[in-house]
Formats: sequence, structure tokens, C-alpha cells
Amino acid sequence: MLAQVLVSSATAGAVYAVIALGFVLIHKGTGVVHFGYGDQVTFGAYLALIAQVLIGLPFWASVVAALLLSVAIGALIYAGFMWPLRKASLLSRIIASLALGTVMREFLRAFMGPNAWPFPFLLSQNSVSVGGILVVPANLAIVGVSVLVLGVLFLLFEKTVYGKAIMAACDNQIGASIVGIRVSSVFMMIWVIASVLATVAGILMAPVLTLSPDMGFIGIKGFTAAVLGGFNSLAGAVCGGVLLGVLEALAGTYVSTALKDMISYGILIAIILARPQGLLGVLAIRKV
Amino acid sequence: MSAPLLRVTDITVRFGGIVALSGVSLDVTVGSIQAVIGPNGAGKSTLLNVITGLCRASEGAVSFADQRIDRARPHIVSRKGIARTFQNTELFGEMSAVENVMVGSDRHHAYGLTSAATHAGGYRPMEKQARREAEDLLALVGLEGQMNMAAAALPFGGQRRLEIARALATRPRLLLLDEPAAGLRTAEVEDLTHILLRIRSERGLTILVIDHVMALVMAISDRISVLNFGHKIADGDPAEVRKSPEVIRAYLGEKAEHAFRP
Amino acid sequence: MTVRIFSAIAALALFVAVPHLLPEFRLFQICLIAATALVVLGQIVVTGFAGQISLAQAAFVGLGGYGPAILATAWGLPLWLGIPLTAAAVAAGGFVLGQLTLRVSGHYLALATLAFTAIVQLALIHSDMLTGGAAGMAVPPFSILGLTLSKGGELYYLVVPVTGALFLITENVMRSRFGRGFAALRQSETAAEAMGLNVRRYKASAFAASGFLGAIGGAMLAILSTYLDPTQFGITQSIYYLAIAVVGGMVSTVGIVLASAIFVFIPEWLQAFQSYLGLVFSLLLLGFIVLRPEGLASLHSLRLGLNLLRSGEGTR
Repeated sequence: MLAQVLVSSATAGAVYAVIALGFVLIHKGTGVVHFGYGDQVTFGAYLALIAQVLIGLPFWASVVAALLLSVAIGALIYAGFMWPLRKASLLSRIIASLALGTVMREFLRAFMGPNAWPFPFLLSQNSVSVGGILVVPANLAIVGVSVLVLGVLFLLFEKTVYGKAIMAACDNQIGASIVGIRVSSVFMMIWVIASVLATVAGILMAPVLTLSPDMGFIGIKGFTAAVLGGFNSLAGAVCGGVLLGVLEALAGTYVSTALKDMISYGILIAIILARPQGLLGVLAIRKV
Repeated sequence: MSAPLLRVTDITVRFGGIVALSGVSLDVTVGSIQAVIGPNGAGKSTLLNVITGLCRASEGAVSFADQRIDRARPHIVSRKGIARTFQNTELFGEMSAVENVMVGSDRHHAYGLTSAATHAGGYRPMEKQARREAEDLLALVGLEGQMNMAAAALPFGGQRRLEIARALATRPRLLLLDEPAAGLRTAEVEDLTHILLRIRSERGLTILVIDHVMALVMAISDRISVLNFGHKIADGDPAEVRKSPEVIRAYLGEKAEHAFRP
Repeated sequence: MTVRIFSAIAALALFVAVPHLLPEFRLFQICLIAATALVVLGQIVVTGFAGQISLAQAAFVGLGGYGPAILATAWGLPLWLGIPLTAAAVAAGGFVLGQLTLRVSGHYLALATLAFTAIVQLALIHSDMLTGGAAGMAVPPFSILGLTLSKGGELYYLVVPVTGALFLITENVMRSRFGRGFAALRQSETAAEAMGLNVRRYKASAFAASGFLGAIGGAMLAILSTYLDPTQFGITQSIYYLAIAVVGGMVSTVGIVLASAIFVFIPEWLQAFQSYLGLVFSLLLLGFIVLRPEGLASLHSLRLGLNLLRSGEGTR
């Protein structure tokens, strides 16, 4: 029974991990918490939908088109909004990221309607029994792609010079620019990567959640996962995502499915109150 | 011998692996001006932060007028009668100089919420009194010409003096100054010296100064404590401290100490 | 001084004359603007004056509406009693919420208040017995001393004076030593505490005030719309109130009244393009926060007029 719960929770956990990673990447890099990230996830999924349904591209072509478009979106967000606001107050930047998300959400509501759109699954939806545990191939695909994406990013940041330069710039902007790293280019790159991640997460999650403009509220789940992992570490984000998936599944099974969402929010508030640095993070001390 | 106004006993402060202060003890006598000096990183600001409640000590105690204050929050410490200035001026930049000082004097002209909501009752007279008190303090530190200027727009020396006026507005018994002379020109240091001596004699204030600027420290201190790497290495009147070999070694290094041996 | 007396008389004259000059639906709109402005006043008290990021306003509005409605429907408590009682309770809740600021600030505070709104909305949707669940519930009409106020022209005499009084009180408090305290803690918390200000209590009080004002505003919005729909009290609405605050100016009482008027009129201007409403609101917010973050209040002519009215006492 427990094993079944854990296996079923892997789907949600995998997607939470990807979204959490996007959050943490943006925060680690540019110091901004992108409150509109969940809406960007939705927007990315819609891009694929629009390419497929309105333009008539085959499924995989629309996925590629969506990914390419999200590169442009990431660049646009950085150049048009985040870079001009880099010296503005924290409040302004938080409001700006909220506003961006809301604009995306309302744009979709206005032009694509408030109702849900069906979105094709990657694999079969019928469950298959593996060693006594029910597994859904479609969900397996979600987990598989998530793991692949996370793996690629891990290789990028840990093994390539390019990736390491990005991490260096995140940790110390001044130091990085002294050794010749162009910080604004790095931030642009971060926004682009995070935007592509958002689209990936959206396309993965859309078939399961059904695509509607309000799907973006999953962003809060991703945020909770990131907070669990201690907002500053990429590995922590992934762990947080998996953990949240498990906690939610357990709560859903043993407490109540209807209250599952409330429990997630409750976990969020509890973590913020009890241990704001998350499970893996470190609290910063301000020097006076 | 009267009991010390401020008694710091065996304060140790650890931040993770770093020991900022180790077993530091200090007594400040009523009505005196004392100084704490030491090379950068010696732990002087940390000591001030512990006394004022911004930082919690890992071990030790702090008493003010025989009351333990080491666990008290900063605003409680302030209300007990300890005021401070900051190393990096923490002024209310957008507010005018007089408004900055009024934040301190408001406490002694405290009308209630109903009066504030209706602008009736004690509001008008108390606002006037608070403002007058603030204006007098600004005159004391020589800022009467810049009363309505935004604090952030004041020249550096003026900002430092504003911090002192603001601290005085809370009517403290003990004034803690965190590097008040840093960055000041010689003439400004002289002005500061006069202001501090005046405050002590006119208001009966006890002052504890942290600073590097020897001209100020030697001119006004009755007693000097020297910190190095979190330890207190000397404690005495200016003449004693000036001759102490440990102090010379801490500031100038091994070789210099030998140079001064008679 | 004479300027203030003159403008007070002018305001009073305007208040009495307007119901005889404007048609019913305009009076209804005026009530809507006043109630919205009251909610946004709560927002700027906590986010503008106290500098604390709060996305909880929609939750306060929802609770402020549902509370009196439930008390009236289930226990027969008249609205004129239920509204202040609920507002006081919500203020207390706001005070507790404000204790969060001890632990967190900035992003985490925004997130915690966001989660709070989400939880409150979920609670409203799932408490079928009490709130009618997702279908919502009707708001009984407002009556006092035997008089029932239902039309815009009648509710005008309730909504506008209450809003005006609360705005005046807030303005007064902000131009007193408390306003100085808020400005101080906004600019340097460390120094404010060193000056003896109980910063934690100030912040929690700001949350309490935002709860109170949001609840009263919410009660009046509920009376005006005569129906409570839980989907109207979520994160999107919190962002809506924040948007009005940004457009009006985070520390400007006059600015937010102006901005509330604009936001109330926009659906009318959009006519057939109603589905673009959300998009217009969010584009306004985005535009202002990037290009003009001080909001409409930073307009020169507005500043001049305000300074004339305010010459003399107090601080801003």
C-alpha cells in the first residue's frame, strides 16, 4: 500500500522538482523570486497547444516550437523587465514578477477562453501492473523526461565550464565580472534556461492536470518544494520536489483527498515559520 | 565606590566557527567617558551589538543599573536608558533631520492613538513639544541650519552629528557611540570632542565610545579598554594604555614592541 | 487653516448635493469606488506605510463579507452589528498573521500571505454548511433603525461617510508620531528599534489595520453585490487590490481613491470586450510598476494640491 502511494507520488514529485529547480535557478542567479513562474509554466504548455491546434503542427513539432518560443520569452522578460528593475526595491520586483504572471494568465484567459483544453499524453494512460504495483506508462514518461532534464542540467552546471561560470556569477557578481564574465549575459541565460524549464514542466503536467489558465497555481506547489529544499540549492530544490510529492500523496491517502491542497499550503506556512532556511539551506546573517 | 552603570561580564560570542568575543569584561562608571579601541576585527562593534540587544551572546551577562539586559530586545534596551549610534549611519534617509530626531523624542511626548486619530487632545501641544526638543538637540550638535533637509542629503559629517542628536532625543543615561569620528576631518573631530564633553557635563551623560581615531579617544577618555581578536588585552587610563606593551604589539607588531622598551 | 475649513465645507456640500444630481447607477458606482478604496487603504497601510508585503487583502475582504452574512442568516444578528464585530475579529486575526513578520520578510512574507489567502478561500469553498460552499450565499439587505438601504442612492449614505471617516482617521494617524514610527521602520528597522520602537508590534498592528479596513470594505462590497461568491476572494483578487495600490501610489490616500475610480470604470469603458478585463488590469499593474512605481500620486498637479491641504502639522 505504502509502496503504491510512493510510486503514484513520483509523477507529481518529478514535476514539482522541475518547477522548484526553475524557481531556485532564477533566485540564485538574479535574486528575484519569480512569483509568476507558475503562470509561465502554463503559458509554455499553451504554446505547444496553440502550435498544434491552431497552426496544425504535429505534436513533437509543436513541442519544439514551444521550447524555442520560450527561449524568446525568457530573453524578453529579462531584457524588458528584470534588467530595468535591477536597482528597484524588493517590493517592486516582487510585484513585477506577480504582474508578469498575471498578464500571461489573463492573456490566455482572454484569447483562449477560461475553460480547459484537452492535451495529449506522451504514452498510454492505462495502468500496468509491475510487481504488484500499478504503474501508469504516461506518468512514467513524465518522471522519465523530468529525470532526463534534471540530468542534463546537472551535467551543464557541474561539468561544463560554461555552466560553472554561470554558478560563479550567481555566487559573486563582482568577482565574476573581474575574471571577465559578463554578468548580464549570464542572467539572460538563466532566464532563458528557466523559461525553457517552465515550458517543459508545463507540457509534462498539462495532460495530467488538464490545461486551463489557472493551472499556474501549481507554481505555489513548486515554490513550497523549493522552500522545503532551502531556497538556495539546486539539489535541494529537486529533493524538495520529491519530498513534497510524497508528503502530498501520503496526506491525500491517509487524511483526505479534498483537503490535499490545503495541507500543501499548510506545510508551506509551517516551514516558513519553523525553519525558513528549509531542510538543506543556511540562514543568512546581516552585519550591522 | 559607586556601582558601575554598565557591567559586562565574561561575554563570549560565537558565529558558527568564528569567535568574535571571548570572555570580555568591562565596567563603565557613572558620569565617565570610556573608550573601547582595538584593531579592525577585534570585536568592538560586536560588543556594542551585544549590549544593545542586536546580537545574542553565547556566554556571559550584561547588567545596566543592576538589571540584567543581555536577553532583552533592542527596543527594551533603549527604553531602559541606553542609546546608540551606528558605524554605518542608519538614518531615516527620506525623513528630514528634525523628523529623524523626533522619532527619538516622541517617546517622551506620547499621546495616545485616539488623540492621533482625531488630532485633538494631547496631539497638538505634544507634537509642538517633541518638535521643540528635537530642534534644541539639532542646535546642540550644530545642525540648526539643516533642520528640514532630508537626512540622506546631509554631508557626511552632518549625518554623523544627526545620529548623535537622534540618540540623545531618547533621553538616555548611557550613550554608546560606534566609531563616531570615522571619516571626519580634523576640524570636525575637534567639534565632536567639544560636543561630547559638553553632553557629559551639561546632561550628566555616561558615554562609551568605540573608535580608532586616537585624537578623539585620548582627548576625552577617562578610561580605555583595548580589544584584540575578541580578547581584552588592556584596561586603564590613557597614559597606562599608551605605554602597555601588549597594546603596542597588537597595533604595531612584535618588532615595534621591542623598539619601545626603555 | 482656512484652506482646510473651506475644503471641509466644500466636501460636505458636495456629499449632500451629489445624490440629487446623479442617476442611480452612478451613485451605485460611487459606493463601489468608496468600498474598493477602503480595501486598498488597508493594503497601503500594511504594504505602503509599514513596508510589509501582504497578499492577504482578498482573504480579509472575503472574511469581512461572509462573517456578517453568516451571523445574520444563521443567528439573526443585524448587519450593522455583525459588520463591526467581524471586522474586529479579522483585525485580531490580522494581528496574529502579522506575528509572521517576526520570522520572515520579503519573499517569504509574500508567499506566506499568499498561502493564507489560498487557505482562506479553500476553507470558504469547502465549508458548505456555513458558507454555501462553491455555490456561494446571498447577503441579507442592510437595515438599521427600521430603514432598509438597498439601492445605490440609499447605500450612499452608509458607504461614503464610513469610508470618509476611516480615510480621515488613517490620514490623521499617519501624520502623527505613529506615522513617523512607520516611516522610520520602513527606512531602517535597526535604527527604529534602537530608538525604542517596538517594531514587531508596529508591523503586527499594520496587519491588524489592513485586516480591519479590508473587512469593512469587504462587508460593504458584499452588501452592494448582494451575493458572496468564494471564487471572488482568491489570489487574483489580492493582486487586483495590490494593482490599484500601485497605480494610485503606495502611500497616497488620494491616489488610491483615484485609482479605485479608474479600476471601477474600466469594465464600463471596455463595453463588449469584457473578457479582456483581467488582461487590462494586469497590464496596468505591469506598466506602472516598471515605468511609474510611485503611481498616480507622483503627478505634479496632485502633489501641489495635496501640499496646499496639508500645510503645517505632522509628517508624511
